[in-house]
Amino acid sequence: MRFSLLLMAFGGSLAQSSVVPSWSIGGVLPDLPLILTALVALRRGPETGCLVGFASGLFQDAASGSLLGVQALSRGLAGFAMGLLPGRLWVGHPLVQIPGLLLLTVAEGLVRFGLLQLFHYPARLSELFVHVILPQALYNGLVGSACVVAFETAQALRRRHTWI
Amino acid sequence: MSSVRFRRYALLLGVLLTSLVLLTVQARGGGPTRAGDLLALALNPVQSVLAKVHRGALGTWHTFTDWKAVRNENAALRADNERLHVQALQVRETDQENRRLRRLLSLRDRLPLTTLTGEIIGREGGGWARSLTVNRGRADGIAQQMPAIVPEGLVGRVAQVRSGASVVQLLNDPTSTVGAVVQRTRTAGLVEGEPSGGLRFKFMARDGAGVTAGDLIVTSGVGTLFPKGIPVGRVTAIEDKGSALFHFAVVAPAVDFARVEEVLLLTGQSAQDVAGLFIPGG
Repeated sequence: MRFSLLLMAFGGSLAQSSVVPSWSIGGVLPDLPLILTALVALRRGPETGCLVGFASGLFQDAASGSLLGVQALSRGLAGFAMGLLPGRLWVGHPLVQIPGLLLLTVAEGLVRFGLLQLFHYPARLSELFVHVILPQALYNGLVGSACVVAFETAQALRRRHTWI
Repeated sequence: MSSVRFRRYALLLGVLLTSLVLLTVQARGGGPTRAGDLLALALNPVQSVLAKVHRGALGTWHTFTDWKAVRNENAALRADNERLHVQALQVRETDQENRRLRRLLSLRDRLPLTTLTGEIIGREGGGWARSLTVNRGRADGIAQQMPAIVPEGLVGRVAQVRSGASVVQLLNDPTSTVGAVVQRTRTAGLVEGEPSGGLRFKFMARDGAGVTAGDLIVTSGVGTLFPKGIPVGRVTAIEDKGSALFHFAVVAPAVDFARVEEVLLLTGQSAQDVAGLFIPGG
């Protein structure tokens, strides 16, 4: 199980740098590893969410050639925070999951910006927020909803076959 | 419960510390770390393979969509082509009909006779009888023996009249006989139909007839059936039987009976020679 989660984190990060760029809409890309982290965290809890987030972030850092640890940390935190929600909110409904994913993307972006500020990242938050974080959050919400629907359909099919 | 919470936060702390250590090491080293290199070493080949697979999948998808578009386009073009082909045939047919009718009307206007245009609605082409059925009958004032002509010349005569149609006996019917003359020499004779589908000009004058191949045979105007000078055909050969009483000329009909689609039925009579009103070749 842990191996499959690690593989998912690895695959998500690789897909982000190879497949996802072709999904670009006006230069905006969805953050597939973050979506996967959020969905895993909601179903498996904060520990798994944190580990999957950390691993996928680390892979993404390595793949993108940026500072190793920035996305690992922000994704780890995001996965952990998302994993804590099921005990506090009714997160089984897509209408909660999708705005949650949107907010998570914004929060993760802010954390990442904060971390990068330690390394004198030159961009301004306002610009980054308008041109990168917010559009990506919306896109993530869209892709996330598709993922949720696909996941629910797959689970329903699996249950039906189990009953048969 | 507390151990679960402790483990949870210990994990979070571990993640935080690892990330911060990584960041600190990089910040101090000022470049990519060995850990980063190692991770990249594992990632890059897989990335490369994935990118190739992705490119291949995209290529296949584009090929498929292109093929689908081309197939649809091809089907549409085929349908268009078929429609245009049919349209072109219709246009050509209408054009040909238009030309034929124009020539027929032009002849009608030139002739000093009352005429009626008739459309061919049936054919009898066996060797026993050769005829055309025209969509003009008794109700249109058609009577037996009325000549039927086209711009090229004589087609035949009305052999039967019905209420809405009439049967025209063709010149090459084996029972058809038309009084004719050689236009150049005025040699008189009879044009008869042959079972083979050709025509034969039978004339009496053995000597001095001077009929040669290429001579035009026209109606003689003797009697009241056919106006004088309607082209019947051209002599293609002379059959000289030596001492025989009659000489024969093989005649190629002026009209291609198989291609006649409209005729002029001569409802009036004229003593005038109409040969000059027929244009050679129609």
